[in-house]
Amino acid sequence: MTTAEIRRARRRGTAALAEREVLRVLRLWNQTIAPSVVSAALFIVVFGVALGASIRLIDGVPYERFIVPGLVLMGVATSAFGNTATSIFQARNDGFIEDPASSPMTATQLLLGYLSGGVVRSLLIGALTLAAARVFVSYPVEHPAVLAAALAGTSVAFSALGIVVGLYSTGWDQQNVVGNLVIQPLVFLGGVFYSIDALGQPWRALTHADPIFYMVVAARHGMLGASEIDPRLSVGVTLGLAVAMLGWAWVTFVRGVGIRT
Amino acid sequence: MIDGTPPALLCEGVRKSFAGGVDALAGLDLSVPEGSFFGLLGPNGAGKTTLIRSVVGLTRPGAGSISVFGAAAWGDSAGAARQSIGYAPQDVALDRFVPVRELLSLHGRYFGMSRRDAAGRADEMLRAFDLSGKATAYAHQLSGGMRRRLLLARALLHRPRLVILDEPTAGVDLELRHDLWDYIRALHADGTTILLTTHYLEEAEALCERVAFIRSGRIVAEGAPPDLRAQFGATRLEDVYLQLVGR
Repeated sequence: MTTAEIRRARRRGTAALAEREVLRVLRLWNQTIAPSVVSAALFIVVFGVALGASIRLIDGVPYERFIVPGLVLMGVATSAFGNTATSIFQARNDGFIEDPASSPMTATQLLLGYLSGGVVRSLLIGALTLAAARVFVSYPVEHPAVLAAALAGTSVAFSALGIVVGLYSTGWDQQNVVGNLVIQPLVFLGGVFYSIDALGQPWRALTHADPIFYMVVAARHGMLGASEIDPRLSVGVTLGLAVAMLGWAWVTFVRGVGIRT
Repeated sequence: MIDGTPPALLCEGVRKSFAGGVDALAGLDLSVPEGSFFGLLGPNGAGKTTLIRSVVGLTRPGAGSISVFGAAAWGDSAGAARQSIGYAPQDVALDRFVPVRELLSLHGRYFGMSRRDAAGRADEMLRAFDLSGKATAYAHQLSGGMRRRLLLARALLHRPRLVILDEPTAGVDLELRHDLWDYIRALHADGTTILLTTHYLEEAEALCERVAFIRSGRIVAEGAPPDLRAQFGATRLEDVYLQLVGR
């Protein structure tokens, strides 16, 4: 085979793997899409609409509007991680990951293929959560490019992290530990439901060490135009984390962790 | 290499050690000529599956070289090598989230076929393996025999030049075993190189033109079954096996 033929074969393989991952998300929509959107809508109804009236304005923004960007981002982060971690581990556990792994595809192409499912699922959840929120709350989108960067960066970062965890895991419990004991607390403590201006020390300083805080702030700036820190910093950290996580996932694939002995 | 034509598979000094110091492959040399029907025989733990997984890119050798039709199986030319191989693993591991027809078509596309070619070839393989009626079923809904046939169909889908079958008839009934033999024989008649591992020595004797015996990660004898029988003064390949690798 010529080099051009191998390249074409690899491109086709990558497209097929990406399609497989996306179709898995769409076919299992009642497990992959609906629960996250319903949860976010419930948060908006309960915390925003029902309890929001008794909470003062935050940074001049009504509470029910203030929490929308964080809730969207929470859905994006958790679903991106859950999708790739589950899909990869399931494929390893059942052994069928060996089919694409023994194909001509490179580590980069396997990474792109598996990443696709997490990115599509999480961005779909982000879009549907925004649409569901609109039913209860009116909100602006002040800086669409910033919002897009925040959501895309978060989606890629957590999809890549899910790949790493899916490749290293030796059991379902390990994924649950990472999801429930690491990601979920970071999300809740990342300022989804409050402004860090309301926190005293040392909590304010600790929040700055939470990477999800920067993602939430970037999304909030994109939507509401309000930001507790310089938006360039929040967007920069978000995109930087996406690149770092992609790099980690790529190295993990190159080393063959969980796939090649 | 004969007349400048590289063998279908060439392994030179292949070594692989696992954690705990277990040497699964201990400097293994093997050459499988193009177009041959080659059997790899040995007891459990001899290194058969480790060798096969090293060839298809799932186990990274610690040392030595492996090439498939002249293309190195590891490194820059791994894509060309893997494109030439169809692999049916010992364990039936099939994607349970996609229907059978799509499972086959996806495999073809993983290995570089266009969407249309892969779909057409999937239909062809479903007919060849008598699985057309299960095209929309999922792998986990099939019987054990059907799953075994599907595994073989998947391995052949992208028209590989070297087909590696790791215990393809393990645990299947006699009737299906003979069906699988017929499929494999027809494939070989078309010029495809076959590398088969099996515990059934009568299977190797009935199908293989050449066999190699592997023990402790090394090839200890190789040749055509009649030659090996003559060389070891045996009437059956099983007797040769017992002399070479038996306990």
